[in-house]
Amino acid sequence: MDRRSFTVVIAAVILRLVLFTAFPSLPNLLTNRVELSTPVTSFKRLQEGLFLYTHGLSPYDGGVFHQAPLLLAFFTTLPSNPIVVYLVYILSDVLSAYSLIQIATSGVSVSTPYHTSSRKSSTWPPWAVAVAFLFNPFSIATCIARPTIVFTNTAILTAIAKGVKGHGIAAVLALAMASYLSLYPVLLLPPMVLLAYDSLPAAKKVGRSLGSFAAVLTAVFTVAAAGLGALSWGITGGSWEFLASTYGVHLLLPDLTPNVGLWWYFFIEMFDSFREFFLCVFQLHLAVYLAGLCLRLRKQPLFVITTLLGISSIFKSYPSIGDTALYLSLLSLYRHIFPLMRYTFFVTSTLLYATLLGPAFYYLWIYAGSGNANFFYAITLVWSLAVTVLVSDAIFAVLRDEWETERPEMKGKEIVQI
Amino acid sequence: MSILTSLRSTRILKFLPLVSALCILVGITWLLLLPLDDYSRRTYISENALLPGQVHTYFGGSEQDVFRAYRHEVTALGKNASADGSGVMAEKIRGIFEAFGLKVGKQKFEYTTAGGVYAGENVYAVLQAPRGDATEALVLCAAWINTEGELNESGVALVLALARYLKRWSLWSKDIIFLITSDSRAGPQAWVDAYHDLHTPPAVTSLPLKSGAIQGVVVVDYPTSRGFESLHIVYDGINGQLPNLDLINTAVRIASGQMGIRTTLQEMWSHDNEYKDRLRTMLRGMVNQGLGHASGPHSSFIPYHIDAITLQAYGDGWHDEVTLGRTVESLFRSLNNLLEHFHQSFFFYLLMAERRFVSIGTYLPSAMLIAVNFTIAAIGLWLKSGRLNDKEDEDNKSNDGKGSEEKEGLLKSGEKAPSADEQPDLVSEERPLLLSMAFVVAIHFLGFIPLYLFNNLDEKNFTRAFYVFTLLNIALPSVLCAIFTKSFAPTSLHFTLIKCFSLLLLGMFLSALATLNFSLSFLIGVFASPITFINPTPKRKWTVGAAWMALLQGLTPTTALVGVALYWGEPLSEILKEAAFGWRVWGMWTQVVVWCVWWPAWIIAGVLVAGSWAVEA
Repeated sequence: MDRRSFTVVIAAVILRLVLFTAFPSLPNLLTNRVELSTPVTSFKRLQEGLFLYTHGLSPYDGGVFHQAPLLLAFFTTLPSNPIVVYLVYILSDVLSAYSLIQIATSGVSVSTPYHTSSRKSSTWPPWAVAVAFLFNPFSIATCIARPTIVFTNTAILTAIAKGVKGHGIAAVLALAMASYLSLYPVLLLPPMVLLAYDSLPAAKKVGRSLGSFAAVLTAVFTVAAAGLGALSWGITGGSWEFLASTYGVHLLLPDLTPNVGLWWYFFIEMFDSFREFFLCVFQLHLAVYLAGLCLRLRKQPLFVITTLLGISSIFKSYPSIGDTALYLSLLSLYRHIFPLMRYTFFVTSTLLYATLLGPAFYYLWIYAGSGNANFFYAITLVWSLAVTVLVSDAIFAVLRDEWETERPEMKGKEIVQI
Repeated sequence: MSILTSLRSTRILKFLPLVSALCILVGITWLLLLPLDDYSRRTYISENALLPGQVHTYFGGSEQDVFRAYRHEVTALGKNASADGSGVMAEKIRGIFEAFGLKVGKQKFEYTTAGGVYAGENVYAVLQAPRGDATEALVLCAAWINTEGELNESGVALVLALARYLKRWSLWSKDIIFLITSDSRAGPQAWVDAYHDLHTPPAVTSLPLKSGAIQGVVVVDYPTSRGFESLHIVYDGINGQLPNLDLINTAVRIASGQMGIRTTLQEMWSHDNEYKDRLRTMLRGMVNQGLGHASGPHSSFIPYHIDAITLQAYGDGWHDEVTLGRTVESLFRSLNNLLEHFHQSFFFYLLMAERRFVSIGTYLPSAMLIAVNFTIAAIGLWLKSGRLNDKEDEDNKSNDGKGSEEKEGLLKSGEKAPSADEQPDLVSEERPLLLSMAFVVAIHFLGFIPLYLFNNLDEKNFTRAFYVFTLLNIALPSVLCAIFTKSFAPTSLHFTLIKCFSLLLLGMFLSALATLNFSLSFLIGVFASPITFINPTPKRKWTVGAAWMALLQGLTPTTALVGVALYWGEPLSEILKEAAFGWRVWGMWTQVVVWCVWWPAWIIAGVLVAGSWAVEA
């Protein structure tokens, strides 16, 4: 880390500490926001689970707690001082920023073995990427609200940071941790393998085909995930109950608490006989992009990961602002394609509008009683629309950038897709 | 792509200011059309369970003598106990309530704001429903001192007499709470906060006795011992929230239909139900809603999602306490019928006569159009700032041959110069976003200074502080502009972007606000609408700038504050005191909107005008 990045990190830590301590009611206020805390990440539910766990009861009784058992083990070892908890979350953000700085330093976002962008000079330096993550209001709010998605994000970023250095084993271990915490990162395994393989130094690549490399990493991933599962089995006193209460909840959506995603309203309105079918459709929808993106963007696996994170921040079963914050921070590595994006202003203003109107409509619905669920759902639709446009616009820009790199004479020309 | 390119290449950009102007014009006209018969609707009762005025009322006869006895007590108490406050009052009333066999509780409260202390003691009694299970309650309330500062002698006496009378009926399915608060502003707030355990002990003490969820509140305000002429229904809640329209309709229908009392709204003592009076009623309602202050003791209940109104006896007439008592009786019989919380009718409406209203679907577009005008202007500015060099472009038209050469030169000097015959549309220029964004955000944070100041100063200093602030405020845009241009050497593009972001934020805040407090959003939108048309490009005649500056100075938040003071005929310090009190006690957030949304937008507009003098292009 260079000096500037270091300053940025220090400033971010101070800002978070100030927010935690100077406004004592702020953490609880934000923890209760449905946009930040979902049933599978909420800090309040974590505390509930911790209480049951420390009192010798099964934390999964009562259907409130849906988070991984290792989190329980981790938080019981911490002193119960809230400052320590704040520091853990701040540390997690710092680690994420550190990973981002590493990723930015590696330059993988502009040049991979197969593709070097012609605009590589206009990327942001690592410290600016760190700023884009650490001082993003969404990241800050997520950190203050203390959902456990923070740890998932850290694990994902660590995995990517290891991946861009060619440390395949370390990358999939971190990815196994992320998947263990919140399931959906498992989708990142194929692009992560590609990323790690592409980043291998040429000397190490000799005699190693992508197939065998992928087989090894997949095996490591499976073993690691199984190990984590076994560990959890031990922690919860030899019961597999946690599987249904954590991953089962991700997959089957029994808890319909509102969030920024598209699922809750849809499944509230759904007739029970169609529920299974649409659960399959919705889950499949998340996975369906994987193969296509890996093939089409084979030259830039990091961008595949970024895009998949963006897609899952829209379509996963319990998305939150923290997921979008992760996507936006990874997108800041692609500063060089911003000039090619067409709807930046539209997306920014729509996201801002949704950010303001969401809490307003939620207030009208829940507190004032003068609105109803449709108000809030409409805004989550707008939010998802904005993120969708952003994701597709970024894909367009990256493809355009690849194309212009291949055919420099086409720069600045209008293209028509047929 | 194609839409955006066509936006850039055509002359649509030129028309955007016109579109903005049209939005404002249509928005205001829309509002002015609302009082017409074609746009407003007659009120109707949505909740069938209410059955207003379908019962015989029996309050009267000997109850009138009881009432008069209580009124004597209250008047005597009011004369004697005025010095040492509400303790004596609460004790005496407690005795009366207990004599009926009701359970009684008392509550002390004390608020300190802006150097003033507001203390008192509330007293209340709970009539347990003979046919209920104490899960729901209704509140009949009278403030010892009404909003005008008069002793509410008949109001309090009426609550006492009704408590004695209603106790005898066996048909109540909801508990009835009889509440006498020691004042109209702090007392009800302290009581309702404590009822929901959201008070701050020890300043506000907890309630010793509670009942179920409150379904409706009726406040009686009758400060004279003479007959009254009409019944004034006050319904505005804090922060512009309103009670369900069904409650008002029920009250109007019972009062005018069953009892034959004329009802009035918004202090429109005479109302001919024609366009002009309707409009005035509506506008008065909007001002009250926009200010978001408590208009009566009922206002404090509304943020808790409790529907509440105040019935004020007004004027000299032949209606007496029995008529009012029977109105309340009938109203409570209707409320008693409620099967669930008020939900059928509208929560967002503008009343323009006691039986005429418009609902949110009809009136919201006017505020939204005004908010949208800012967004359109912002989009226009964004597109404009994306053109390679729009100033040069404009020159081209006047001077074609030479201009195009210049343009080509510019393009070639650019980083990604395309070949000469190409449209440069695709090559988006990088905009210098950071500086402009930082400036806009910084100005918005600056708003917290006056917010803090005016909420925390001592009331003695209010007037002085206000004058000092007004003077500073006049100079501030120019000073800020001077500092900004000195330290950052911004170009006209920076100013365009600053205006773009400022308008974007303003439009966003106002449209979000329009869903929460329509009137406030509309009023601020109208006041801020000239900002759309400020031309951020320098190189203009200084006289134009001076005219703009003068116009802006006439539309500051401080001017609006003076306007409010004139409208109410109260000194400035009183208004500021009320605002600080509202912030601390009622949880009113009008100030936040004024200082953190409107004022920053105004400052930025001022900076833009000042910039047109300062910056040499």
